[in-house]
Amino acid sequence: MKPLRLIPVCLMLALLAGGCAGTKTVEKTQSLAATETVQKQEPLIYEGEVTGFSERAQSISIAIGKGEQAKVMMVKFDTTTTGLSQVAKGKAVSIAYEMRGNDAFATDVQLKLAKLPAGTTEIKTPELEKLITTQSPLFLVDSRPTARYGQSHLPGAHSIPVPLLEEKQAGVLPENKDIPLVFYCGGPT
Amino acid sequence: MSTASAGLAKKLGYNDVRVYLDGEPEWAKANLPTYSTTDFIVNGNVVLIDTRSTANAIAGRIMGAYSVPYHMLEDKLDDVPRNAPIVLYGDEDVIMDALADVREEGFNFVSLVDGGYEGWVKAKGKTEKGPIYNTEIKWVRILGKGEVSVADFRKVASGEDKNAIIVDARTKEEVAELGIFKNTINIPLDEIPNRLNELPKDKKIYVHCSTGARADMAYEELIKNGFDAKFLLLNIKDAECDCEIIRP
Repeated sequence: MKPLRLIPVCLMLALLAGGCAGTKTVEKTQSLAATETVQKQEPLIYEGEVTGFSERAQSISIAIGKGEQAKVMMVKFDTTTTGLSQVAKGKAVSIAYEMRGNDAFATDVQLKLAKLPAGTTEIKTPELEKLITTQSPLFLVDSRPTARYGQSHLPGAHSIPVPLLEEKQAGVLPENKDIPLVFYCGGPT
Repeated sequence: MSTASAGLAKKLGYNDVRVYLDGEPEWAKANLPTYSTTDFIVNGNVVLIDTRSTANAIAGRIMGAYSVPYHMLEDKLDDVPRNAPIVLYGDEDVIMDALADVREEGFNFVSLVDGGYEGWVKAKGKTEKGPIYNTEIKWVRILGKGEVSVADFRKVASGEDKNAIIVDARTKEEVAELGIFKNTINIPLDEIPNRLNELPKDKKIYVHCSTGARADMAYEELIKNGFDAKFLLLNIKDAECDCEIIRP
């Protein structure tokens, strides 16, 4: 059974190498199964959304990768793990971990905060509220999946999930390129 | 997500692209209105509430709505599960207060009908009128991905269904203290990856813990390894569980 246990981990690393998730440790991690010295050089990283967090079982599960290649990995933690207070289901995090035997142990957890793309600026609630209530020129986009939009969306928002925009590009956006566009989703992580 | 889209829009040549990073949760927290789509209201397993006067509701209301005049709202919502999606509509002067009240009551998913009753009628949504018989709000969650129903779970715990086994993902200490269901093996969540060889591939596996959080994680692990697994999302102390316990 033991050698088999390594297969998911290796698969996972292959995914990482393909650029689905974090790529920071790709060069170092391909020979994960090999030796301990390699493992200690640099922390291994899982990046993705927390799908479960249990203090009692001292485990975090994290969804990594996208679409069909998405996988849920389980990482243990202990009293030496740092950054645990920020962990909650649904948060986007980066987990640095090390292998102890066959188990992945988290050493540090960081929240992944969204970075603004070049050339765009942030808008805060009061200003957005003013734009909406005064019916100023605005094209407001809800980037979340349609189900989330269906349950609750901002006044006047258009539902354009990220994959739809990637597919249709400007076809789902206004013709006038000077109209202010505001994008939102479910929060900063 | 929003940042990815904003970056793409910038590349497509849009000149004024901004990101509302705080997003829908902050908007709702600031007590600003959010809306549900017609499709969600009709098909989303929602609790739809008409907060206008009873007389108005009798004269005409959105199909399937409960009539709960604003001043009775808190009372009537007492027993409704907090994860039920609530959709409200009512008189313009109080609907924002109603929205704030319900959000404050701890409901996680609360929104409004865009344009209220008039907006619904204008959009040719279905309505009904006449006396109102459904006065007690009833809401039952639809099972999510990977969840086993309590009824199916109970059949295995009782021994009636022999084609499945139950895995208890709690710690040994919890089991020692509180006992274990019948027809159940205890494999703590963190031991599951190393004890997969103890589990059958030709039977269904239902996982439970104390609330469902660890069971969900165990379920993901089992599915990933090719097992036919489901998990119970329920606090096992809930009366609904009603499974016999072998006491320590």
